[in-house]
Amino acid sequence: MTVVQTRAAPVATARRSVPGRIRVISGVTVASLALLFVALAVGSSSARDGLRVIGRDAGPQVVATAGLYLALSDMDAQVANVLVMGEEYPRERVDALDRYEAQRAAANRALLEAFELSGDNRAERRTVESLLDGFGQYERLASQALLLNEQAGHPPGPPPDNVVQTYRKATDLMRLVLLPQAYNLTLESGTIVRATYDEKAVTVPLLRVAVVVTGLVALGCLIWLQVYLARRFRRVFGPALLVATVTTAVALFFGSNVLAQDEAALRTAKAAGFDSVLTLAKTRAISNSMQGDQSRYLLDKELADTYEHTFLDKSLSVVYYNAGNLATYHGAVAGGSKDYLGMLGPELVGERGEEVFRAYQKYQAADRELRAAAEGGRANDAVAARVGPVTTAFTLYDRALVRLADSHQAAFDRAIATGEGALDNLWRLLPYAIGAIGLLVIAGVWPRLKEYR
Amino acid sequence: MRRTLAVVLVLAAMAAAGCGMGGQESILDKDRLVIGVRSDLPSVGFRSSDGTYEGFDVDVARYVAGKLGKEVSFLGVLAADREKVLGDGRADLVVATFTIDQERKKRVLFAGPYHISYQDILTRGGETIDNVRDLKGRRICEVTGSNAAQRVVEERGVAARVVPFPDYARCLAALKGGEVDAVTTNDVILAGLAKQDGSGLRLANAQFNEQRSGIGLAKGDVPGCEAVNRAITDMYQDGTAGQLLRKWFGGSGLKFTTIAVPQFEGCS
Repeated sequence: MTVVQTRAAPVATARRSVPGRIRVISGVTVASLALLFVALAVGSSSARDGLRVIGRDAGPQVVATAGLYLALSDMDAQVANVLVMGEEYPRERVDALDRYEAQRAAANRALLEAFELSGDNRAERRTVESLLDGFGQYERLASQALLLNEQAGHPPGPPPDNVVQTYRKATDLMRLVLLPQAYNLTLESGTIVRATYDEKAVTVPLLRVAVVVTGLVALGCLIWLQVYLARRFRRVFGPALLVATVTTAVALFFGSNVLAQDEAALRTAKAAGFDSVLTLAKTRAISNSMQGDQSRYLLDKELADTYEHTFLDKSLSVVYYNAGNLATYHGAVAGGSKDYLGMLGPELVGERGEEVFRAYQKYQAADRELRAAAEGGRANDAVAARVGPVTTAFTLYDRALVRLADSHQAAFDRAIATGEGALDNLWRLLPYAIGAIGLLVIAGVWPRLKEYR
Repeated sequence: MRRTLAVVLVLAAMAAAGCGMGGQESILDKDRLVIGVRSDLPSVGFRSSDGTYEGFDVDVARYVAGKLGKEVSFLGVLAADREKVLGDGRADLVVATFTIDQERKKRVLFAGPYHISYQDILTRGGETIDNVRDLKGRRICEVTGSNAAQRVVEERGVAARVVPFPDYARCLAALKGGEVDAVTTNDVILAGLAKQDGSGLRLANAQFNEQRSGIGLAKGDVPGCEAVNRAITDMYQDGTAGQLLRKWFGGSGLKFTTIAVPQFEGCS
């Protein structure tokens, strides 16, 4: 705005000469037009920056790191499954080992991707490096446990001590060192999105106000110029300047409209898309480690209480009812009251949400059977429950979560595409508008100035 | 005239937007933080005779404040005060063996956990209690304000005999005098008590309930919580966490085979 103010000074000194006056008014007009386009350029690049960070960097990173967590967590769950199956379940054992291999490959890919996406964030990079180191160590311990288990040839249920001791080293490394780091990477992406969104939610509307104000000033100047010329030269219309005015008005309207669309796109991408995608990614991660805890509960008698407690603790963080122990919790979930808190609390709305809740109820019901068998000393039945109904129920629950997450992911992608599309159109048209308005102002003013030659 | 108006308009818009930014106060806007720490737990958060605070939690609090570039002063709190001092603004952060749970999350925003501890069992030197199940029929302390003994009886369904005591000092005396057989609570608390006592009490390392100790903030301060989480990540990556654990609990019988950054609760 200071530019406008300093331009005001020469007006007084050049008052007497008409061409001088025309030059000054034209200069002020061009300056105000320049300000309008600067405001538009700054506003739209700020919006684009926001869409890029949220849509292209942090958004995909949530998916990549959540995938890493799932692959790692599932590797450990599959090892535990193989160990509790013992000599029985030949088909299921092969399936579990195949799945272990597939998840190992997936984890490898996800680690490389996470390394690339970590960019120049030093703390994140250190985290990924530490994950890479630990991953190799985990694989060694897990294969050792699997080998010892193979040699032991025990019936379904807890394997011999040496197998349990080796597996404990592996699972401690996985659950206490590797998984938390993978989870925190996902959270860090959420932090980046939150910070970017909060910043853009302030600056983009502010820049839109600047666009409107500078646009109105520019329009005022163009009208002032025309009124002056019409009075001086007794012509009612200057067609070139008239077209320039209309073009400016269109650019102003279109530009502020695009910025408003981008504000809305950022808001939708964050609130209707990203927040839920992140929450559901966290839920899937925690749920996957819950099913691992079920196998570990069967496999390690000494730490069975600990694993039962972590299962309850994780269940409470997913769907919270006020329950002091697992039996009470099972009852509350089966009761199905809708006033639960926890991560899924605000997420389970609509048909897809209902579906997730029903699947979760079935999963917890299957868990109740598994615990009943284990506590009753029926190790065989408990393992059969783990391999059969619990796995089936968990898979259905996980799929329901994925479907719900996909619908939010689609909303997120749409919002980002809408926002970027609007900006693309603006940036395509803006250079032409600037060129056209410039030429039209010259075409409108030049002939008048020439009359004084 | 028009130009003056324009300048005024823009300034007004900026002022309006500026006001909109300052909704929730964040710890990041302050130069000095008041941090609530326990005053009654040796090696964890303890007010020494000269009025200064010391312990693992105190050092963690100092590290986090340092990473945020803030000066720090401490406020001694007991278990029952922790939510209150955050609610009425007397403390900006609470680092006081504050276990994260869903009920508390309704009122407190938790950064961290900065440490995962477990519920554990402290006995006399010659005892053979190794596991929560071994507490069946034995006498255990119940200290006012702690739900640890109840968790053994209700959550784990172990029929221990609960004997009430007003504080840990008297409970420990009863343990040594043979009035009770075990004390059960957070392992770092037990380790601190055992270390201070120095008479060879035995920590079972039973690790039966995971307890995630978080750093409490006023609800809504998401940027502050995220910054604290980054500081905790640094504390583990630069090795400070391991040093502090060894400094305060080394030789107490507490196992630290795994020292790694815990899985954060998340700030939203």
